[in-house]
Amino acid sequence: MPSHGRSLACAVGVIGAALTACGSAPPAAQPLLQQTSDRMAHLKGFHFRMVITGYTGTGEPVQTAEGEAHPPDLHARVNLRESSFLVEVEVIFSGTDVYLKSLTGGWQRLTQAQVSQFFDARTLFDKQAGLFPAMRETQSPRVGTQESVDGHDTYPVSGSIPAPRMHQLLALIRDQGSYRATYWIESPANTLWRAQLTGNLFDPARAATVTFDFSNHDQPISVSAPPLG
Amino acid sequence: MTSPFQSLRLRSVNRPALLGLTGAGLFLASLDGYVVVTALLPMLKSVNIAVNRPEQATPIITGFLLGYLAVMPIAGGLSDRFGRVRLFAACLALFALGSLLTATAPSLFQLVAGRVLQGAGGGALVPAVLALAADLYPAGERSPVLGAVSALQEVGSVLGPLWGGLITASTLGWTWIFWINIPVAALLMWALWPEIRAGGEARRPANVDWLGALLATAGLAFLTLALYAADPERSPVGEGFLWQAPLAALCFILFVLHERRTPRPLIDIRRFRDSSFSGAALANAIAGAGLMVSLVYIPVLANAVFSMNASSSALLLFRLMLGIPIGALLGGWLAQRLRSYRFVAALGLGLAALGFLLLSGWNEGSLRPHLLGLPVTVAAAELFLTGLGLGLEIAPVSAALLDAVGEGERGAGASFLIVMRLIGMLVGFSLVAGFGLWQFHRATAHLLPPLPGLLPDFATRFAIYTLKVRQAIFDEYHLIFQSTAITLMIGAVIAAVTLRPLPRPRWH
Repeated sequence: MPSHGRSLACAVGVIGAALTACGSAPPAAQPLLQQTSDRMAHLKGFHFRMVITGYTGTGEPVQTAEGEAHPPDLHARVNLRESSFLVEVEVIFSGTDVYLKSLTGGWQRLTQAQVSQFFDARTLFDKQAGLFPAMRETQSPRVGTQESVDGHDTYPVSGSIPAPRMHQLLALIRDQGSYRATYWIESPANTLWRAQLTGNLFDPARAATVTFDFSNHDQPISVSAPPLG
Repeated sequence: MTSPFQSLRLRSVNRPALLGLTGAGLFLASLDGYVVVTALLPMLKSVNIAVNRPEQATPIITGFLLGYLAVMPIAGGLSDRFGRVRLFAACLALFALGSLLTATAPSLFQLVAGRVLQGAGGGALVPAVLALAADLYPAGERSPVLGAVSALQEVGSVLGPLWGGLITASTLGWTWIFWINIPVAALLMWALWPEIRAGGEARRPANVDWLGALLATAGLAFLTLALYAADPERSPVGEGFLWQAPLAALCFILFVLHERRTPRPLIDIRRFRDSSFSGAALANAIAGAGLMVSLVYIPVLANAVFSMNASSSALLLFRLMLGIPIGALLGGWLAQRLRSYRFVAALGLGLAALGFLLLSGWNEGSLRPHLLGLPVTVAAAELFLTGLGLGLEIAPVSAALLDAVGEGERGAGASFLIVMRLIGMLVGFSLVAGFGLWQFHRATAHLLPPLPGLLPDFATRFAIYTLKVRQAIFDEYHLIFQSTAITLMIGAVIAAVTLRPLPRPRWH
């Protein structure tokens, strides 16, 4: 193609993209949440990072969790608050088994009783009780103006989630009122890049925020049982 | 309000005031050299790094040293070209920017980037202030001024860990170690502003071996990466060691080839044929490695197994740091008195080795026993002995190297001494950090922590587990201190074999 032809094509492309960006109306909130919930629930795998900030009290030791998931299977490094320090542990949820790699030594299998004393990360992405089905149950959702999250153009969708539903997601969350939830969704791909839950999550008077960041959507993840010992 | 300087000509300015202000900047930067050693754990926590991932703290220390080393060789030439005061101001601004990045770091990446900039800014201040002092005072009056500037830097380095520990343990928290640099740097810049703006200093043609500096810095950067054990559970060195180490070697070979050909090299490579020069350089690097091991591992040991807070850890380390200036003064006097560099340098390095050997015997109760009923603990005496040894070698090793380079290259020789010491610190610490943690992971590879739940005797099991972990930490430290003792002994032998005796005094 001659150079002036390429320039013309570029100009048309740029103008077209600009018109599309300016002219496209934001998607409706409820369908966007439902479609994104569906897409996220059926991914072959994804990378996630969860960060809890604000007041967490003594009952909630988890500070951050980061890893790969193909729910219910999951492999993550979790930072726990231990007195004035942070301690990193590694967890694997594979099938019905749960494995932990703590301060020293190799992997050990946990019993269900032990898992319940720690952080049952499976619930985060559980097909019934996890974050993705909770998106469908978000009340009074509203779409905001486009925002960039990690270089992706997204629509923030905000609404509220009743406390009992949040309690299913994170067992330590108090069981009253409702909490604000915001999802940053790329449309029309229906890709969730970030989700944020805010409110007095772990104390009646003090606020906390749980932020999830997602990446590597649909990259196949296979989590297998680690060698013990 | 007016600033102290209104003059355009350096020789006519208030020399003590100008030197005092630039010296204050140098002191500020030297305080920050090792300030982080007593603040590492809170720093890691603030960027969400767990206490059981200490390897991630390594770049906070090596980043500063690397930044410092990168600018040292070119700072002298740059100050010739742009003027001492202007270079000083630019580097102080860089140091302040690094402090800002460090204090506000939300991530390890920014924390390390901030420390690299702090190192680069702080590292250039040393040659800039030394050159300024040499400009301000004529040859006959220069020596005590240069000594005072060097002493200021050394005192700053000694006080840094204590300063950092006290601020970290206070209600201010560790970020104030770095926040405080910004107003102080701004105040110094304001006071120096007339001189900075006037730029009335005599400019000289640039004498910067850019290619040499680039090759040396690239070699050191690759070496640092190669030795950085990011996953010490698997390897005591970096994952990319097999390609990074040869690249580092290639950079160093190219550096040597370039330095042999270039008319104005950073360092005259032929000097290494002189055994006294190369022996002093090597002994100096080994002493630097020993100093860095003590600076980092004594506070961390105090914190990890003696449960001391940052200020108590700093006070424990201060016992060692106190020995260094005393040893330095004594070493200079002894070398003169005995007319032997090799004996005093070997004695110093040997004493430091003995000190580390004694430290390698520490256990849970080592901080308690008193020395012969005196109000001094055995541990304090061992730390002081180690510091004394590290101080004793400074004067004879430095003097032997400066004697070897001759009158015309004293400035370059002094810079080379600092560079060699920093290289020793960088390489020694990188190696020790990786191998120490690797050893800890090997020792605890099968030590599974008991989990709460259905175990009726969980508390007992957990207490036993904690004891075993503490013992593994002690074993790691024993290995680190023993390796350091052996390395220092090698340094003592090198000094004893290579250093020449003192020349006869000659008066010009």
